[in-house]
Order: sequence, then C-alpha cells, then structure tokens
Amino acid sequence: MASIRKTYRRTPKVELRSLTEESCEFVLSNTDVSMANALRRVFISWVPTIAIDLVEITTNTTVLNDEFIAHRLGLLPLVSSRVKEMKSPFESGEDDDWTDVEFHLNVKCTGDDTMDVTSNDIQCDPRHPDVRPVTDPEGKGILIVKLRKNQELNLTAIARKGIGKDHAKWSPVATTFFQFMPEIHINQALMETLTLEQKQEWIDSSPTKVFRLNPITRQVEVENAEAYMYDGECIAKAEELGKPGLVDIHQRQDMFIFKVESTGALKPDAIVVMGLDVLLNKTHDLIESLETEAQSHAAQAGGLDS
Amino acid sequence: MNAPDRYEKFVVPDGLKKVAYERDTKVPNAATFTLQREDHTMGNLIRMQLHRDKHVMFSGYKIPHPLEYRMLIKVQTDGSKTPIEAADGALKDLQDELNDIREQFVKEAERQQPEAMIF
Repeated sequence: MASIRKTYRRTPKVELRSLTEESCEFVLSNTDVSMANALRRVFISWVPTIAIDLVEITTNTTVLNDEFIAHRLGLLPLVSSRVKEMKSPFESGEDDDWTDVEFHLNVKCTGDDTMDVTSNDIQCDPRHPDVRPVTDPEGKGILIVKLRKNQELNLTAIARKGIGKDHAKWSPVATTFFQFMPEIHINQALMETLTLEQKQEWIDSSPTKVFRLNPITRQVEVENAEAYMYDGECIAKAEELGKPGLVDIHQRQDMFIFKVESTGALKPDAIVVMGLDVLLNKTHDLIESLETEAQSHAAQAGGLDS
Repeated sequence: MNAPDRYEKFVVPDGLKKVAYERDTKVPNAATFTLQREDHTMGNLIRMQLHRDKHVMFSGYKIPHPLEYRMLIKVQTDGSKTPIEAADGALKDLQDELNDIREQFVKEAERQQPEAMIF
C-alpha cells in the first residue's frame, strides 16, 4: 500500500450532554449518517453482555411451562461489568477460559398466600458473586413466576457471554436512537405581515414548545429547535394562514443527538466505548484481511496485477 | 432440525476468508470484495467513506440474501489507484475517525464523572 496516503477522513466532534447510571445523551457532529447509524446498530447488536443461556429444570410444578420460565430467565439483565474477562463458547480455545456463570433457583411456596419468585431469589455463583441480576432502587426484583401453595421450582441456569446479534437478550440497551438536529429558519419579513394574535396562534399550533413570542420586540423566535418533532403542524398552520414559506425546517445531515438507555447490564458510557471498540476491531480485522488478500493476489499475478 | 447454528451469523467458518477480492472482468478498475459475516453496519459505513474519495467513481454494497451472512462491496476507481488501495484507505480513515470519537467520548465521560471509569 502507498506509504503516503491522502485522507478523506472527517473530523467528528463529541459533546456529552448528560450521563447517569441508566442513560446518556451526547451530540455527535461533523460526521455522516452512516457513522451515526453504524454506532446505533453496534450498540444494539454487537456489544457483548452476560445473559442466562442454558437452563436445567429439575422440578417445575408452577403454572408456567419449562420453556416459558427459561425464556424469562434469559431476559433478566445481569450485571456485565466483567464481560470483557469472559469468553463466549465459540471464542474460547483454552480450557481455563472463563465462559460460564452458574445460578441456582430453588423455591417452594409453603404459605397460603401467593408467592412471588423474583430475581432476588436467584442464588449467584459463589465464584463470581459480582455477576448477578440487576437491582432496582426499590429492591423488589424482577418477577419470574408466581407460586401457589405447594408449587415448587428447582433449576440450574448457566449464563454466558453473547451479543444481541445472536439473541436480543444479550443486547445491552433498552433503547438507543439518534435524532437529526433540526435547523429552523423563520422568514421574519413574512412573519411581520401577521397580526400579534395570528403570531400567537401560529406559535400555539406546534404541539411541542418550539417557538416563543418575544414580548419586547414582538418577534417570533425559535425557543427550542430540538423540541420539534417533524410533525409539520406549524407548516400546515402557515399555509392555513395563507403564508406558505413562513418557516423553513431542515434536518441537519451532519449533527446527531444520540440517546443510549441501558438495561442495567452495562453503564451507558461503557456501552458507547465498547461499541466503538467493536467497530475499531472490525475495521482492524478488515484492514488485516484485506492486506493479506491483496498480497496473495499480487503474488498470484506475479506483480502484473494492477 | 436442519436449523443452522446461531453463531453462523457472526463467526467466520474455517476455510473462508474474511475478505475476498475479485476483479471485475468487464469493467476497468473495478472489483468486488466479499466480506464474510458482515452486515449493513460495516457495509454502509465503508460505502459512504468510499464516496468521499474523489478517485472512486462507484461504490455500493449489497447483502445478496438475508440468510447468507455475507456482504458484497463493489468499487470502481478512476484508475489512479486500485480498488484495493481505495478500500484500504477508506478503512484506515474510518479507523482514524473511530479512534477520534472514542478519545473524545472517553475524555467527555471522565470530565462528567472523574472517578468511576472502567476503561
């Protein structure tokens, strides 16, 4: 490959707006939709987490059948901060690779009242106590099944590392989406042909609070462009008032507002960084395979291949 | 019964190349790359990056069949560089850009919560 390479790369900018335990919001600008969409897709289906994959049920006298319970167990989010140390069954080569985490659930209802079996009843693997179902602030746990008197459930569950591409239970995000930054231009000259009442009427036509009336200048201003939902209500209103072209709204194609909401398995910032790492690994692997492929072709053609 | 294994979707089987290159016989300076176990995530990303290269006259990707886990990228250049060089350049640019985004994000996250970073 040429030693001096002309680059066509973009110079993206990242601005983190908020970061909490369960969600984060950031603005990615000066890049392309393809990059934003690749990131979104990677967060959903390529970032690894831990989830229950195999369930061995010894007794189940509950109202739910075995498959139903196994499915519900699989969907429980498990704290996956140590997922990087794990290997999924098809990645692992050596015997001492850490692939499995074992859980037990042994419950029986003895009282007369209905008993709730929740994620709190799951006994964690003593070798890996930090891999456990996520906890909610109230500590109520996630409901798995309800038991009547004398009903019983005994099972062993094995959790493994996996990705959302394999099964959605491994997806670390509840939702993740990006929004195009709206760009709103008000035609002030045309706006001045409206009466004050008409201006207010037009402002109120937008279901979200996008515009406001400046009480001093009596001009209509954009209060919060991001609140615009692309509903087109204010454009329809402008036409109804006989003033088409009153406002011009575009989606910026180089600025994206990202929101990542975690299931609790991973911290939202960890999801973003791990997602970027996945994409970096992918590009790295592709460059490597492409170069070996190029070399083998060059050798085959005896250097004649252009 | 005859369902393929779940990991078929993302594990490149033995004997298959991750990236296979084939020159186009009918179009000059054109080639098709077959990427095993890749989807729209990388396909669209690489295609759009190739569009930025002014020596690339055409680039497009397709997934021929949803149950065959491979993706094809077609590249045609103006002749001043080979499709391989163009693809390599595009991937390296993407790598630089991703590194840039990662660095900025980590810096921003550290600024917001200095103690609790795990990376």
